[in-house]
Formats: sequence, C-alpha cells, structure tokens
Amino acid sequence: MDKKHGTKSKILARFRSFIQAAATLLTNIHLPNFFKGEIYRGNAKTICVPGLNCYSCPAASGACPIGALQAVVGSSKFKFSYYITGFLILVGVLLGRFVCGFLCPFGWFQELLHKIPCKKFSTKRLKPLRFIKYGILLVMVILLPVFVTNNLGMGNPFFCKYLCPQGVLEGAIPLSIASTSIRAALGKLFTWKLGILIVVIVFSVLFYRPFCKWICPLGAFYALLNRVSLLQIRVDKSKCISCGKCVGVCKMDVDVTKQPNHAECIRCGACMKACPTEAICYKYGFGETKNNENEGEQS
Amino acid sequence: MKKLVVILLSSGLILGLTACGGSTGKNVAANTETTETQLDADDIQAQILELSNKENDIIAEHQDLWDTVFNNVDKEEAKNSTESNYGAFLETQLNKITDQFTDDELSLLNADIDEIKRIEDQLFDLADQMESVGNGSIDGGMSVAVDENGNIIEDASTTSTPFPAFAGKDLDGNDVDSSIFSQNTVTLVNFWFSGCSPCVEELPTLNELNEALKEKGGAVIGINTDTLDGNADMIDEAKKILEEQGAAYQNIYFDSDSDAGEYATSIMAFPTTVLVDSNGNIIGEPILGGINNEESLAEVQNRIDAICK
Repeated sequence: MDKKHGTKSKILARFRSFIQAAATLLTNIHLPNFFKGEIYRGNAKTICVPGLNCYSCPAASGACPIGALQAVVGSSKFKFSYYITGFLILVGVLLGRFVCGFLCPFGWFQELLHKIPCKKFSTKRLKPLRFIKYGILLVMVILLPVFVTNNLGMGNPFFCKYLCPQGVLEGAIPLSIASTSIRAALGKLFTWKLGILIVVIVFSVLFYRPFCKWICPLGAFYALLNRVSLLQIRVDKSKCISCGKCVGVCKMDVDVTKQPNHAECIRCGACMKACPTEAICYKYGFGETKNNENEGEQS
Repeated sequence: MKKLVVILLSSGLILGLTACGGSTGKNVAANTETTETQLDADDIQAQILELSNKENDIIAEHQDLWDTVFNNVDKEEAKNSTESNYGAFLETQLNKITDQFTDDELSLLNADIDEIKRIEDQLFDLADQMESVGNGSIDGGMSVAVDENGNIIEDASTTSTPFPAFAGKDLDGNDVDSSIFSQNTVTLVNFWFSGCSPCVEELPTLNELNEALKEKGGAVIGINTDTLDGNADMIDEAKKILEEQGAAYQNIYFDSDSDAGEYATSIMAFPTTVLVDSNGNIIGEPILGGINNEESLAEVQNRIDAICK
C-alpha cells in the first residue's frame, strides 16, 4: 500500500460533496422542464441512472432502475427484466455502494438535511432495521408486481406507488406546481406519500441517511454486491495503530478494520480522512496486490 | 424501448399521483382567445377575464347548491332569455325552485347573486369600453356561456380549445375524421395504451359511461397511442384488451405526425381523458388518471352534464 494510493483516496473522499452535486445535476440535466411542467422523454430515458432518481422528475436524464425494474416485471408480457437486472449487477460489480455515497441524488438530499444543526441520534442500536430494505426489494419491487396482477396479467409498481419518497419529491411536487391537471389528480395516495416524504425528511435531520440504511431497495441490491465489487476498501494492518478513530467517525455503523467491505459501507471515505496513518484506502480492480497485507478482509 | 419509456412514464407519474381526482371548485378560466387588438383592448379583456373568474369562484364556493339550480334551468327559456345580467338570470332561475332549498341555503345563494350582479354591472361597462376600442366580440352583458344550440355551458370555469384535426380509422378499419364530434352532443376522448394498467382497468367503466352517454346523444371514443400510424400488431393487442375488458365503444387511430397525433404523443400521463363538445372544442382541463372511483366518476358526469344539457 503505497503512500500515493492513500493520498488519492483521501482526495476522492474530500471532494465527495462536489461529486454528489455534479452527479445530481447530471442525473437531472433538463432543468428548464421544471418550469414547463413537462417530463423529458428523449432516447436517454431508455437508459437507467445509477442512483435512486425518479423517472417522473421533469429534469431527469434517465430512468430510475428500481422504477424500471418494477414496470417491466409487472407488465403482462415479462416476468423478468434481463436488461435492468444486468444493469444493476454491472453497476453493483463496478462500484457497489459507492453509488450510494457519491452518485445518488436522494442520498445527497438526506446528507444535506443531516447538516441542519440540531441534536443528532446514533443508529448503532437500530442495526436490525437494516434488513427491512432487503424485504422491500424482494416483496415490493419483485414479488408483488409479478404476482399481484389484474385479469390481464398487469401488476403495479408497488414500491413507486406506495412507498418511494423520491417520487413525491421529484415528480409529484414539481409537476403539480406546474400543471393544473396534475394538481387536480392528487388524492389520498399523494397525501400518504407526502406523509412518508415528511417522515423521511424529519428522520434525515435526526439520523444519518435513514432511508439508505433501512428502506432503499436499490441500496439493498448494491449492498449484496458490495463484497464482490471491483471497488474495495483496504486496511493496511501494518500501518493501523488500532486507534479506533475510523470506527468512531463511521456514520454507517461499520467497523472498517474488521469488515472493510461490509454491505452497509457506502464508500464515503470518512474513515480515510480520519485515519492518522493513512492505513485505509480505496482499491480498484481484480484480485490482491503482490504485497498482500490486508488480513482484515478475511474477518 | 418506446414501450418501456411509456410504461415507466405512466407508472411513475400516474400511479404515484392519482387514486382519486375529483376536487371541486377548480376554476381555471384561462383566456384561450388571442387578441390582436391594441393594448387597451387587452387590458380590458384581462379585467373581464378576472371578473368572470371572480364570478366563477363565487359559484364554485357553493357548487353543490348551484348545481341544483343549473340542473333546473329550462333550455328553451335560457335560449330566449332577455336578461342581460347573469345575476338577474340566476335570480330568476333560483326563484322558480326556492322550495328545494333551506332558508340558510337561500340566503347564501342570494348573497352570491347580489355579488354577481355587481360584477356583471362592471362587466357591462367594460364591454362598452371594449366596443369603443374596436373589439365587439365580447359577450359582456350576459356572460353565461351559451353554445350554438342555445345550451348553457354552466360551469364557465371551463377553457375551450379546439381538438386538433385528424383523419384516421377506427380499429375495424372504418374511416373517421374530426367531423365525428359534430355527431355527438359530447364526446369523451380517452387516451390510453396497452401496457398501462390503470388505463386498462378503467375500460369497463368507460364502456358503462358510453352506454349512459348514448342516451344523451354522446359517445366515448378511445385512442390507444400504441396504435397510432396503424401498427397492425398493436391494433390486434388493443382489440384483444378491449374485448377482454368488455369495451365495445369505438377506438380510433391516426398518423402520429398529424396535429392530433402530436397532441396524443405529447401527453405525459396516462390515462388522460378530455371532453369534446359538438363543435370539436375540448372543454375544460384534461382529466388525468383513471376514472376509477365514485368521486372521479361523479365529477366526469357533472362535466358531461354541463356540456350537453
């Protein structure tokens, strides 16, 4: 683990908020559409963006992978979407939950909310709630759209329809401000989802990224691939002085020295910035380096 | 790919938003007329519009009560009405059916009438001014909307824009064109596509609505945007779905590069339903989302009744 590598990792971690802002802008590039109350519907919309970003956001450049997955598996013609599952596995293997930490607009939104000064609460004792998101991925994104269908075999995108706060934030609210017809169509479902959004907002101020930790099915999918992703975090045991600073700063409640590629690690790099000996850094690519020093990965 | 796009679109947007439409009192009387006269005329027209909107707002506040009044208006009489003040007209109509209201309701309605009368006076003055600046086309005195058959279009909260022209076929291959609207007192045009579950789920309701509309001389027409340009596979699929859902009313298609085709492909949310009068004008704002509960159905009924009274 050369010193250069460690420095690069630190730089990446330090510029994280700029990358998040840029990713959010690129994910929602058609800004004038907010005023027109129209959704961009060009060819780019047939491609998924990596993060959780509603297709119905007027400015959205691409489709939400979770929305697309539900729409396809819920349609009468298909029960499985090779295209979107393949896309998710590809992104998961290339980046894993780096997407959550650097590229996801909704993750950034929660982080910004968390900057609002007030008393903050730890989520360390709420670790079991992390498993909810896997249930949501399995049940609301896959099983319900596939199996709860009408007489023609058409399902509903249950997660988008009943749960996703990003849809309200980016889709329903801006569109209903710009269009009277859409305003007229708002009903109980909107009230329900607006309630969810408000809860997520309040929780985001109090906790760090509550939606990512407990609810997000996209985060759950990437979490499953975090361990096998090409992007890994490496802890150099020979440099580590076991000071515990990395564990202390981790807002995702991960002990990077024990499990550097834990499913909950969103690769934010807070531990790298905190490490006094530059023992922690990103590593990208196949296999181990020649001087294999990271026993940490086996634990 | 296109299918994916459209599926996503409807799922993200409509499913996320609809459930129940049907809020009352949407009073959007956008000025769809374009005036090319002097600024003065524009100003006056803006004022007229504002005042008309005010009248509509007044009525919308007690819409239920006023609906009762409107439903009792005698068409023939309305056609020959000599009253130039809409408030006076309303008063006459109300006085005929005072027994249908409680005293409290009556005082509410009469207060509304007084206010409308005042606004009408202002409107009358404005109309005079308008004529003097050389644009006499405004129906200043009697601002109740009356179509060419003398039918009162009650809810003047309605905008009116022409349904874009088209010439196409129905799914059985018979020719249709824009003149189809003149055969009906009111035409409910429903835009849908085959992969959209809320669209497909409202087809039986639309069929019932078509049966009910027949009695009033109206009709439902479906436009499946997958079938535009006469795509044979898509037409087969649409026909299968219509049959499965028991929807027997006419479904049509036209070229996507026609005016109506551009209108259809610019629709963002499915299903979208518009109401078209016998002159081929779209009346009111498009209805977004499935007509799938009593509330939304009642609203559509009200709007239909307002057009084809």
